[in-house]
Amino acid sequence: MMSSLLPLIGRRLLVSVLILLVVSLLLFVVLHALPVDPAAMSLPPNATIAEIEAKRKEMGLDLPLPQQYLIWLQQVLHGNFGDSIHYRRSVVGLVTNTLPATIELAVLSIAIAAVLGVVGGLVLFHVRGTREEPVIDFGSILLLSIPEFLWGLFFILIFGVALQWLPFTGRLDPDLRLPHGTGFLLVDALLAGRLDIFWSALRHMILPCFALGIAFSPTIMRVLRSSLIDVYHEDYIHMARLRGLSERRILLRHALKNAFLPTLSLMGVQFGFLFGGTLLVEVIFSYPGLGNLMVDAVRNADLPIIQLVGLAYCVVVLIINTVVDSLYLLLNPKLRLRS
Amino acid sequence: MRQLTRSLPKWLHSGRVAIGLAIVVIVGFCAIFAPLLAPHDPNEQTLISTFLPPVWEQGGDPAYILGTDSLGRDVLSRLIYGARLAMLVAVFASLGAMLIGATLAHIAGYFGGWIDALIGRAVDVWMSFPPVILSLILMVGIGVGVRNVILAIVLVDWTRFCRVLRSEVLVVARKDYVAAARLLGFSHWRTITREIIPASLPLLITLVSLEMGIAVIVEAILSFVGLSVGDQTPAWGQMIADARQYIYDSPWNLVFPILAIFIAVLGFNLLGDGLRRTLDVRVTETQRV
Repeated sequence: MMSSLLPLIGRRLLVSVLILLVVSLLLFVVLHALPVDPAAMSLPPNATIAEIEAKRKEMGLDLPLPQQYLIWLQQVLHGNFGDSIHYRRSVVGLVTNTLPATIELAVLSIAIAAVLGVVGGLVLFHVRGTREEPVIDFGSILLLSIPEFLWGLFFILIFGVALQWLPFTGRLDPDLRLPHGTGFLLVDALLAGRLDIFWSALRHMILPCFALGIAFSPTIMRVLRSSLIDVYHEDYIHMARLRGLSERRILLRHALKNAFLPTLSLMGVQFGFLFGGTLLVEVIFSYPGLGNLMVDAVRNADLPIIQLVGLAYCVVVLIINTVVDSLYLLLNPKLRLRS
Repeated sequence: MRQLTRSLPKWLHSGRVAIGLAIVVIVGFCAIFAPLLAPHDPNEQTLISTFLPPVWEQGGDPAYILGTDSLGRDVLSRLIYGARLAMLVAVFASLGAMLIGATLAHIAGYFGGWIDALIGRAVDVWMSFPPVILSLILMVGIGVGVRNVILAIVLVDWTRFCRVLRSEVLVVARKDYVAAARLLGFSHWRTITREIIPASLPLLITLVSLEMGIAVIVEAILSFVGLSVGDQTPAWGQMIADARQYIYDSPWNLVFPILAIFIAVLGFNLLGDGLRRTLDVRVTETQRV
């Protein structure tokens, strides 16, 4: 089975690499339309015009744009993304420091979104045709109208400020120190055997993760519901009923298997959006991840950071899409026959 | 009463459309007549009365119904003026995105072949960016200002229209009546505008309504991170950003702009969902995203 899958996955990867190349070109063009001069910004303010000119030459800014792009691409392929203009540190270091925090946040959030989405979808399906349906359906549109950053602010107001149950800034309580290691705080804390750090990190993640999870669950609910309704028209469900299986068994063991596939491919798209949505949630919860790095870089017009962070978001989204597509192939036997 | 409901066009019968439309009209009314409706100048600072609570709380001032913010500006007036920016962006950004997306979708779906493949690849490239990230990068590239906010949203969200409409056009363009039109000697232009667009129009209208809600959110996000229109124009996202810094002094300041965004987006979503049902468009959930 794996041998028939590998070429498909390989082709998918090739497409991803091509997309990434075009994305890098787009990033380069957009950010070079900027009215700021990176050479002047990377020198102290009292630099003379001659010094700035020399720096421009050194950075290759006097060359034509296509040539500049090739030079930039060459450096990128060697893993050299330059230094941040604002922090005066290697951009790669800054991004690898913050990326794990964002991934941790996104993975927990999608887990919450998936659980809420599947449970909600089953509830929506269960009430179909009853008098409660319009009410619950209306409720799901209501949920659909609240984006993740509004949930985040709601939660801060209710659980952070009014009830004071949960913390809402940063990743850890201020008196605890970050353990060194992978950068995934929950993993590091467990590896170091520090349950207090694990607990503190988890408490800090509850509000942002639920904000993201709840915001992205209604779409999953509604897709699962409509694909369950589609599946119930098929003959095999009718057959199962004739065989005398209980409704519960038909739903969970027979219908859900097929109805889950469209939901899964939607969750792939959703995860991409959710990964972008972490940006706002990180800003709102002062969570030191990729999003906060990006927003700071945008405010300081720190081009090297913006370029790499933009690429990092794309790479993660493309990886997720590839993984979800492969999962889809693995779970759907119909697609395997073709190759 | 029954006479009245019967005389209304069919699409207004749906409760969702009616409620959604009512909300949108109210928000639009606030936006257009902001100078008449707002009790104060939205930028007028009264530094002796900062952080006034709303009028029903203890210490509220009847002159400032929803209270004042950190600089003593009237929250209600700022909300009403904020509707201007939100509606302006919602209308123009979604129309612009619709224009680009729908044009490309009709070209791709109608002609097929390499044109379709090319446009499809472009959509793939766009989809590999989370929309928030792409709009931030674009705002850095083109600079702040209302026109640029609209431009950024258009450049990010045209793919939503293109993806969904393309598959619809693909189906319509293969229908017999379109082939008949071609056989009658209609030009490509006439076939698309007279034969195909009427068939894809209900879907288009539904998508525009949903897109307006998205545009309101994106504008709020951009002004929240300070990349929208600058300090002089009141914006809901900016009010949220201000209020977040003084969350312990006055939580109410945070509640009102959140509610404003929620209500506006709800209006557009209800309208879109209602239209989808009454115009009998099959927008599946996957397409909605």
